[in-house]
Amino acid sequence: MKLLLVEDQLELAKSVKNYFVAEGDVCEIASDTKRAVEKLFAFHYDLLLLDLMLPDGDGMSILEQVKDNWPDMGVIIISAKNALDDKLKGLELGADDYLPKPFHLAELNARSKAVYRRRKEGGQKKIGFNEIEINLETREAFVHEQMLELTRKEYDLLHYIIVNQKRLLTKQAIAEHLWGDYMDTADSFDFVYQHIKNMRKKIVEAGGKDYIKTVYGVGYKLKQEE
Amino acid sequence: MNLIVRITILFVFVSLIVFIVGGVISYRVMMREVKYEQQRFLEERLERMEGLIEVRKPTDTIKWSKLIVVPLSDYRSEKRVFSDTLVMHSQLNRLEPHLRLDAIKNVDSSSYSISLYDVIIEEDDIKDGLTESLTTMYLILLGAVLIIGFAASFFILRPFNLTLAQIRKFSLRDKDQKLEFPKSSVSEFKRLNKFLTEMTDKVKSDYRSLKEFSENASHEFQTPIAIIQSKLEVLMDGENLTEEQVEQISYVQNAMRRLSNLSNSLAILTKIDNKEFINVSEVNVSNVVSSLVEEFKELLDLKSLSTKINIEENQMLNADEVLIELLFTNLINNAIRHNWEGGEIHLTLSESQFRISNTGPTLTFEPNELFRRFKKSNQSAQSMGLGLAIVKKICDFYDYRIRYEYQNDNHTINIDF
Repeated sequence: MKLLLVEDQLELAKSVKNYFVAEGDVCEIASDTKRAVEKLFAFHYDLLLLDLMLPDGDGMSILEQVKDNWPDMGVIIISAKNALDDKLKGLELGADDYLPKPFHLAELNARSKAVYRRRKEGGQKKIGFNEIEINLETREAFVHEQMLELTRKEYDLLHYIIVNQKRLLTKQAIAEHLWGDYMDTADSFDFVYQHIKNMRKKIVEAGGKDYIKTVYGVGYKLKQEE
Repeated sequence: MNLIVRITILFVFVSLIVFIVGGVISYRVMMREVKYEQQRFLEERLERMEGLIEVRKPTDTIKWSKLIVVPLSDYRSEKRVFSDTLVMHSQLNRLEPHLRLDAIKNVDSSSYSISLYDVIIEEDDIKDGLTESLTTMYLILLGAVLIIGFAASFFILRPFNLTLAQIRKFSLRDKDQKLEFPKSSVSEFKRLNKFLTEMTDKVKSDYRSLKEFSENASHEFQTPIAIIQSKLEVLMDGENLTEEQVEQISYVQNAMRRLSNLSNSLAILTKIDNKEFINVSEVNVSNVVSSLVEEFKELLDLKSLSTKINIEENQMLNADEVLIELLFTNLINNAIRHNWEGGEIHLTLSESQFRISNTGPTLTFEPNELFRRFKKSNQSAQSMGLGLAIVKKICDFYDYRIRYEYQNDNHTINIDF
């Protein structure tokens, strides 16, 4: 997947870029609208990550151009303005998603992959980790081709962990992914634990190995059996 | 009270005093003139009498009407004395005040005492006449003042009233609104209109910059937080970290998240204050509450909370959907958060009322402080204590009445729409 990140905060841009590069994606950075448009005309991108507040203008203008010239390109708006009218306007203009700052890189990764998959015809329908496999279209999970009876949230959780399989996912990042903003952080950690526990149980019962490792009590990570 | 009515009343009152004082003065002056004329009249008659006496030289007392002439036996020096006296009036048949002139006159070495009197113009008559004429004049003036007053308020104050009507239309939110004040040739109104134009422009630009500031402040907070957050994530993913280091990073992450939420919540409070939620539409509250209950179902289960939900279908409210969702999200969230493991939540929505009650520990502060910003039962808790402040703000914004009750470990929040 090839991404263009339009972001004027260089340090944030670097972190995002490194994250995607580690995932095996190509990510380029444009720090203002002028450079962004130049790059868009010069190269092909699958996905545009767009900050709205840029030093030389409003990111919305880039969005309009993208929708006129490259209607197939996916767009995710990343904005510090957590304003609803901005969100609605962005989605109305054809953005695929809206992620308010600050965000977890894992969350951005998961959403980017989802948009990419939806946009790309014949794109990846299945992702997996060893014997665990999930079908992104039917939203079903399998272990050794045996379907798991997962609740909606458990599926989301498994999907999130597999998409970010090289990473340590904190309980906080997982909680926000599953429940959004209206979760009390203290409570949510217990809830994440409960969900992980139930999911592990279901995977193991289906004959899978327990790859989900607890990391120092702060989060979880998929690990190959050694 | 209307300005013109007030001025009229003041004018009527002042002119009343002027008329009373003027009446008294007129009365005095008239009395003085009348007396003076009367005296001259008596003196003229006296002189005529003297003429008669010189010709006839009476030896006996003469008593004519209003005239007594008495020849005196001894010689006295001449003098004239005026005095008031009461005399029976021949026609009215009652005692009336008369002016009397007593004089001693010497004619050819014999002295005569001459007394003359005549009815004067009576004080009562002057008083009555004055009162009547002044009262009539006063009433005419009153009528004129009222007519002029109403005419003035209609014609002269017309530009002022138009200006008032314009000000009533003034709205802080309407960016493009330009107040058009009527042209007037009156300098006071000109000054007023000029001042109002300047003031409304200033208020608008101040309001705009304040609004921009609070939104930008929230935005400017989020950007560095986003950078910190991303760096922490990268840091955490690094190899060779000890458990303690990872834990420390995770604490920082939690704190950053709270900071970000705090800034978001304050931005919402500011936005409600600034009346920025004006996308009013008919919101199906029943659907909003039902879908929220569905969304929160998992949290309810995980905390083993039993619920009793009673939602009347298709209840509508005219409001901004975002605010309505925020209102109920915060209320339900609050009922879950401050509940016991295995507690209860009762939720009812009817046409005019929303009621949510939950089991939970007693408040550690006064119930009337419940809706204040940053009020929380446990100061170290993760929650920020802004949820119910936002709820209260939304209720105030839409004039919903919100009440809190506590009974037998049951906290109830009641909203009347």
